[in-house]
Amino acid sequence: MHGQTWPAAATTQSSVLASDWVLFALAGLAVALLVWGLILFAIVRWRRPKRDGDDAFPPQFRNNNPLEIAWTVIPLILVIGLFVYTYRAEANVEALVPKPDVTVAVNAYRWGWTFAYDGGPTINGAAQKPPEMVIPLGETTRIVLTSSDVNHAFWVPDFLFKRDAIPGRTSSFDLRPSKPGTFLGHCAEFCGLDHALMNFSVRVVPPDEYARWRRGGSS
Amino acid sequence: MSAAAAPVAAAPPRNDLLGWITSTDHKRIGILYLTTSLGYFFVAGLLAVVIRTQLAHPNATVVSAHTYAQLFTLHGTAMIFLFVAPFALGLANFLIPLQIGAPDMAFPRLNALSYWMFLFGGLVIFAGAATNEGAAAAGWTSYVPLATIKISTGLGQDLWIVGVFLVSVATILTSINFITTVFIYRAPGMTMWRIPIFTWEMIATSLLVFMAFPALAADLLLLFVDRHLGGHAFDPAHGGNAILWQHLFWFFGHPEVYVMILPYFGVVSEIIPVFSRKPIFGYTGLVISAFAIAGLSMGVWAHHMFTTGAVNNPFFSFVSFLIAVPTGVKFFNWIATMWRGSISFQTPMLFSIGFLMNFLLGGITGVMVASPPIDFQAQDSYFIVAHMHYVLGGGSLFAIFAALFFWWPKMFGVKLHEGLGKWCFWLLFVGFNVTFFPMHLLGLDGMPRRVFTYANQGQLPELNMIATLGSYVMLAGVLVFCWNVVVSTIKREPVGADPWRANSLEWWTTSPPPEHNFDTLPPIRSERPVFDAHYPEVAARTPR
Repeated sequence: MHGQTWPAAATTQSSVLASDWVLFALAGLAVALLVWGLILFAIVRWRRPKRDGDDAFPPQFRNNNPLEIAWTVIPLILVIGLFVYTYRAEANVEALVPKPDVTVAVNAYRWGWTFAYDGGPTINGAAQKPPEMVIPLGETTRIVLTSSDVNHAFWVPDFLFKRDAIPGRTSSFDLRPSKPGTFLGHCAEFCGLDHALMNFSVRVVPPDEYARWRRGGSS
Repeated sequence: MSAAAAPVAAAPPRNDLLGWITSTDHKRIGILYLTTSLGYFFVAGLLAVVIRTQLAHPNATVVSAHTYAQLFTLHGTAMIFLFVAPFALGLANFLIPLQIGAPDMAFPRLNALSYWMFLFGGLVIFAGAATNEGAAAAGWTSYVPLATIKISTGLGQDLWIVGVFLVSVATILTSINFITTVFIYRAPGMTMWRIPIFTWEMIATSLLVFMAFPALAADLLLLFVDRHLGGHAFDPAHGGNAILWQHLFWFFGHPEVYVMILPYFGVVSEIIPVFSRKPIFGYTGLVISAFAIAGLSMGVWAHHMFTTGAVNNPFFSFVSFLIAVPTGVKFFNWIATMWRGSISFQTPMLFSIGFLMNFLLGGITGVMVASPPIDFQAQDSYFIVAHMHYVLGGGSLFAIFAALFFWWPKMFGVKLHEGLGKWCFWLLFVGFNVTFFPMHLLGLDGMPRRVFTYANQGQLPELNMIATLGSYVMLAGVLVFCWNVVVSTIKREPVGADPWRANSLEWWTTSPPPEHNFDTLPPIRSERPVFDAHYPEVAARTPR
């Protein structure tokens, strides 16, 4: 994501997330332009003319129930629509497949990460030497996340997703990468002194290359 | 009620230090609250400038990681607990009795107690900086286990707990005082449907304080017991639950956002009609929407916890979306008040318009992050930093300056200088947007919040540099305000009772008001009795 600001998807899940961003950003922009426009129009159109003395008053109208109902009901319909969309998107992102291809138990600690692959290997790295997780392109990797000290969060900006790592709890989510490459990850929940340096990376490789890495890594 | 109408002749109040320290006069306590909270604002603002200086370049070493953590912890704590919320309490202290035609608050001594607890609570928090291990450094949200004794071993964290506890108890007491005062001390004719919108917003605010702050106090007590008395409320190794802190904290923390914004909705609702020369458009709509926001805000706390995977995201998402509706009602009513008006642009109005423009963006990004899939990316990134600063900085802070310029003549009997006021506005408006707009992009670009350094990658260096330069422009704006206060105080050009041709009762009495507030009261037949008395022909043409 570094170097670009419009969300671009690097996993199947994140294409849903990106479309949610786009919908909300466009709806928000439309509302912003409408309301900013009304404010600017009003203050330009009805600024007090110089010739008007301090005791000149415009018509003192007020109260209009049909209007009040309109600007309550129309936004209500809008947010209900947005909620329905967002509800479906979230269900989509959080859905777990019955049998993931790869399972990695991730433990966050001050200030590093342990990636324990189901069936080996286990990769560990901290601030000065960030660890790298390798996962296969187009297949589903299950992340089982916890922490062994304070709250952390597992965030890969290119996946448009993060999840908190909380001691005493485990939390699972699936990643199905749709783009090969190396993606930077950060701890996103403030965890003390070296929080800013608690980084990692995720390298997405084709399945055959992943299989070779897995054999080499576990031997 | 006769108590309100019959002022008792008394010796003039002492004007020396002892007179202020021992005062139970709501106006003096209000001014003490306002000046103290502004003092905390200047300190917290300077901390922010140091933060921005550290972040101007990647891998900078202006401050150490440990100092940086203390800086943002104190910045957030002071801005929220010691400035934006207590400034509103100060303003309400000064205004509520005046706006309802009362001689003082219902419980003047309790009022003084609240102020002194607030002052010393803040000092206790900052005193942490003088201890061996420094001030609290776990963020203003003080999440556990980070804030437990095992990790945050320093005394600074304890002082933070004690200080915030004092401030929260003070706030609860003040909210009781406000509600009682409005319900039983209104002048004859001042029915509930004639009290000014600011006072209405303070009733909603006080109810929120009353419901939300006890959860914070309980949370702080639990943390203190865990730290020093062998409790395990938050310790998963002994059957505790680390997420409990977040639930209690945000059960307070989200209503707190509205404690920090409803009073300022009230401020702009007072100012916009005066400078548009029209009555407020939908009085009833504004009152109902205040209570709708307050009620809904009690049911949205876990939208701060979407990424924990431990809460019912759709429920909290839906209620959060709903808050946009009553907030929209307010916006449309403010615009309708300006519609076909006769709008002039003195400083209070400029800041109110700035409030509308900035807060709108904060509200829209608020709806965005109320969608969990968007929050999964935005949470704990600079996008959230941008969002909350558009709400509390672009929103509340601009309304605070609007209030200062609007009510300064009433408090001190002199106007602030208009030209310098306009300079202050434009520096703050431009500086604010240059500082905080790029932070949306920083968040999308993958920059987490609360980091003391970042890598030299992508657009991070440029965007951070722009934000830092903006913060210096804001600093210049605040300095112009300070200069304005000095100049206006030295020049001392006295103003009359009603320099703005305003509406509510505080503009009936002298500037500044006498100790007992009112010698006479006009007939109260609408929510703008002073306007009705000064312009009876216009008032006769005004629908009720």
